[in-house]
Amino acid sequence: MQNKKFISPLVVGFAAGILSIVPVIKSLGCCLLIPVAAFLSLMLDQKANKNFSKLEIKKGVIFGLVTGLTAAFFGTFFDFLITLITQTNDLVYAFPQLLETINQFPVDEATKQEVLALLGGVIEDIKTNGFSLLYTLSLLANNLFSNSVFGILGGIIGVQILNSRNQQK
Amino acid sequence: MSIKIKIILFVLIFIWVAGIFVEFIIPYFNGLSYAYTFINRLYATVCHQQFHKLIEFNGHHSLVCSRCSGIYIGGFLSSFILLFIPTLKIRNGKFILLAALPMLTDVLLYSFGFYSYSKIIALITGVLFGSVGIVYIYYGLQILLEKNAK
Repeated sequence: MQNKKFISPLVVGFAAGILSIVPVIKSLGCCLLIPVAAFLSLMLDQKANKNFSKLEIKKGVIFGLVTGLTAAFFGTFFDFLITLITQTNDLVYAFPQLLETINQFPVDEATKQEVLALLGGVIEDIKTNGFSLLYTLSLLANNLFSNSVFGILGGIIGVQILNSRNQQK
Repeated sequence: MSIKIKIILFVLIFIWVAGIFVEFIIPYFNGLSYAYTFINRLYATVCHQQFHKLIEFNGHHSLVCSRCSGIYIGGFLSSFILLFIPTLKIRNGKFILLAALPMLTDVLLYSFGFYSYSKIIALITGVLFGSVGIVYIYYGLQILLEKNAK
């Protein structure tokens, strides 16, 4: 039974990880995708166990964290896989815009060149090998941080919505 | 929740909101240009960053769309007000759903082509949702901390 405790956040986190790289869904879900996933994991857990008793905030935090971490790992993995196959990704698409923005910075030329060289190296690696260690590691770090935080926040809010709903039933 | 924790949360939210407008800050703190790409990618994990949906001022753009900016700004404004409110009491979980309603309606209406995307509507509906959402987060943290203190 203990093994099944985190099935719903793992399943929902996996789904959220996949959805986070689907362009249209990513655009619609935006920053609410992971919080909504955390909420859904709590709701699914209640339905699966047929236990609609009052939830503790702690459970929301844990479920949110597990959902977020799962989404981060799978989101990064699928992004890595698609980048490897297609040898392109969001960063490559956004590169001209980033280049333009960085060139507009009112900073000295040497700083600008260093930043552009770093970014250019990453883009070159992705275009030729379909992989950049720096990009993959930074994506994983970013996903782990943001998905964990947003998952926890979604879990905290989700507990209150579910408790309020169950109380009224 | 103690004022110390509220101040920490307020500062963290401030840093997060300031990060959205890093392009506007770089002219004053040149060193941030090294971190720009990383910061940009960090916000890319929580927002689609479609160029025509970003807030633009004086040639600089926000790192997240108008709606996300609104949510974070709303959260920031509420977190400031919450500094002066000692204890929270929320009895109904429906307020956050009500606060999300204008935002969801806007998403649906422009997605189905009833009108074109408006940065102002996205920003305002986002602020409404963010300002209410943060109250629930604070209340949840308040309960969590009270339980841990016992």
